[in-house]
Amino acid sequence: MIEITRKRIDVGAVLDSVRRDDAGAVVLFLGTVRADPGVAALDYEVYVPMARKVLAELVDRARSKFGNLEMSIVHRLGRVSIGGDSVAIACAAAHRREAFEACAWAMDEVKRVVPIWKSEPARDARAPRRK
Amino acid sequence: MRLRVKLFATYGEIAGSKELMWTAKEGERLGDFLDALFQKYPRLAGHRDTMLLAVNHSFAPPDEVLHEGDEIALMPPVSGGAA
Repeated sequence: MIEITRKRIDVGAVLDSVRRDDAGAVVLFLGTVRADPGVAALDYEVYVPMARKVLAELVDRARSKFGNLEMSIVHRLGRVSIGGDSVAIACAAAHRREAFEACAWAMDEVKRVVPIWKSEPARDARAPRRK
Repeated sequence: MRLRVKLFATYGEIAGSKELMWTAKEGERLGDFLDALFQKYPRLAGHRDTMLLAVNHSFAPPDEVLHEGDEIALMPPVSGGAA
């Protein structure tokens, strides 16, 4: 499952999308909007067709790097309030080590190569917010 | 040839538009196009070293040859996720 959505992320559906009988481990990562001083929400801008393509390539690269696994990535578009999930990555693999490592690697890659930008909707909206 | 140019995040604000149509000479490379674009929008030029470039949804180097109808994206360093 690769998805860019304006709706709340259905975490259960993301998890179910990676479950399979030959997997002994399922890892879920959620990125959530943190209550930094003055921040009430974050706006996410996404170059949707390219983001979908880069995310699909990322899952293929995860398989080459960590072996046979199932991975889903869902990212929000638009405004997400404090505590809301902005990204969900689920990974299922035969053993926990590959599942943990692939999930962590995928999140680093999302931040590095997927065309998504966040900004604060308040008075600092003009400045892109770095991680 | 006609090119569709997309400008993301702060770049759209600098150029005053998130999307524009651009006419370039046949056979022009991405780097040539950027030189011309920066003449029109000098405030974008300062971002050249960190700018991510894509042609038709794939990252592209400055020597990539452009074609009629290509979609070019100028993107600041990405910052998705949270945490």
